[in-house]
Amino acid sequence: MSDTPSEAPVKSILPKWVRGPQDFVGGLAMMAVALFALWASSDLQGMHGFSFGAGTAPRMFAVLLLLLGGAVALVGILKDGPHIAAYSWRGPLFVSAAIVFFAVAIRPLGLVVSAFAAFLIAALGSHETRWLEAIIVGACLTLGCALLFPYVLGLPMPMFPRFLIQ
Amino acid sequence: MELFANLAHGFVVAFSPINLLMCLIGALVGTLVGVLPGIGTIATVAMLLPITFGLPPVGALIMLAGIYYGAQYGGSTTSILVNIPGEATSVVTALDGHQMAKQGRAGPALAIAAIGSFFAGCVATVLIAVLGAPLTKLALAFGPAEYFSLMVLGLIFAVVLAKGSVLKAIAMIVFGLLLSMVGSDIETGASRMAFNIPELADGLGFATVAMGVFGFAEIIRNLDHGAEMDRNLVQQKITGLMPTRKDLVDSTPAILRGTVLGSILGILPGGGAVIASFAAYTLEKKLAKDPKRFGRGAIEGVAAPESANNAAAQTSFIPLLTLGIPPNAVMALMVGAMTIHGIVPGPQVMQKQPDLVWGMIASMWIGNLMLIIINLPLVGIWVRLLRVPYRLMFPSIVVFCAIGIYSVNNAPVDVVLAGVFGLVGYWLIKHDFEPAPLLLGLVLGPLMEENLRRALLISRGDWSVFLSRPLSAVLLAIAAGLLVLAVLPTLRAKRDEVFVESEG
Repeated sequence: MSDTPSEAPVKSILPKWVRGPQDFVGGLAMMAVALFALWASSDLQGMHGFSFGAGTAPRMFAVLLLLLGGAVALVGILKDGPHIAAYSWRGPLFVSAAIVFFAVAIRPLGLVVSAFAAFLIAALGSHETRWLEAIIVGACLTLGCALLFPYVLGLPMPMFPRFLIQ
Repeated sequence: MELFANLAHGFVVAFSPINLLMCLIGALVGTLVGVLPGIGTIATVAMLLPITFGLPPVGALIMLAGIYYGAQYGGSTTSILVNIPGEATSVVTALDGHQMAKQGRAGPALAIAAIGSFFAGCVATVLIAVLGAPLTKLALAFGPAEYFSLMVLGLIFAVVLAKGSVLKAIAMIVFGLLLSMVGSDIETGASRMAFNIPELADGLGFATVAMGVFGFAEIIRNLDHGAEMDRNLVQQKITGLMPTRKDLVDSTPAILRGTVLGSILGILPGGGAVIASFAAYTLEKKLAKDPKRFGRGAIEGVAAPESANNAAAQTSFIPLLTLGIPPNAVMALMVGAMTIHGIVPGPQVMQKQPDLVWGMIASMWIGNLMLIIINLPLVGIWVRLLRVPYRLMFPSIVVFCAIGIYSVNNAPVDVVLAGVFGLVGYWLIKHDFEPAPLLLGLVLGPLMEENLRRALLISRGDWSVFLSRPLSAVLLAIAAGLLVLAVLPTLRAKRDEVFVESEG
């Protein structure tokens, strides 16, 4: 699953004693998640007598994750490991943008508009996209989904923009 | 014979027109995703979860099961013809399969892969039917303490058989467990870590997380490499599907060994089909008189892993159907599918829903029969599909996923959450954390908590109950033993060796 770390020397903002930045940062992030969970579950009731409260199990798992995250980070300090792999921005940005746009648009604009637009936004995520081709495929996909979900599968959802229907 | 009566009942259910249709759709979709690189089985099952909403539960599960084992068939086609594994389970098939294709023997390679898969599928179907009832009886004798220990053992198995760092895999499981805590507490109804977001009150949707971590994250990661994947299709026409007599003689023992190994590894939690194919390939290479032939077009190198992955894909249903414990991420999604239809997985399913269980088992055999037809004579059609460029595929998947998630609860927030988990998944992949254990943790979390609470309530807060009850103690001892073995240097080296095979 892992990507091979890039050969080019990565400018690291991490101190020199971190020998496996990938593990180190990964472990720290897990610890952060655990601390956040501990804070978020701090208002829940703990053990009363010998029975669990609502907060017991979440806090238990959070402490466990805190320890494991710490251990992963420690491995990152002690053992040579890969650098942090390079992130690209284009794919994540436009795919997320497409998803968010769809979520915002589906209620007011309906399936047809939001699906087609989301398709085109997602297509921006690759520089190899050819627009004519993308528009044709996007239109076909939109048509297919507009038939599949509400009619074949019987899952009701708004189809057209609200202001057009009224 | 109760077994035959059950199977007969199953076939009656599976042969109803709607279920036959579902089985066919599952097999077709499975082959499709198997053939296409860049769409995994887990992502597909997650994508189609919402769609199964409107279907009857038996049909829905038959279809989802078909996707899983269908993908094992389809994956081999891409491996052999293009040298890119369509599925993770077909990685090793590419080693010898593609060599065979280059030597003009693509036909026999495809045929042996399909025949091996079919044979393994038939054996695994029988195995599920035979093991189902006794294991269910055993499971019914389990108390909460035993159940908890069993789940611990299952998760440890998953860690040991997973690729990469043991520590990180455990961290992923615990992360999943933690995520499963979001939502209302089963006993007190208190809202936990939901931050007053109404959509979180019922917890994180299973399909939402799976679609994010496997669907969206995988797309984003694939885009890193550029949408244009290198696809060196074997251009010459595939002539002569039939393997020669020598091919058959050579591959028969390999198919048998692959089936046995795959069946065993499938039942064990963790690796499932992926590890089965790796292990089967390694075994064949060890046993071969002339190991040098491997990697140069040895037909055993195709027969064994393909039989093993299909056997494992099917036997991994055994723990799910009998114990209610998913052994791998795809089975975890099946749990999600069952819950959507109001079925609580566990030993009682076999007794309360015989239609579901036996219908599904019988459908696997029918599905395998369909698959061999879908895959062998129609292989040309699937190959043509490989020419669909990824730049058109990925936006389609994004949109399809988004609509699918929205349709589950008609909640736009779910779509955004899936997007967030997509980014989380991308980050996890970049930091070499495997997302599959996370999904297992997410599914098992509520079950573990419930059983842990109950066990401690019954024992009046005495934690030693997990060790004083013999069955539970044995399960925990095995788990501890496995964990120790996994971190021992010698076994680690062995384990890595099995996986390295593909990357060399």
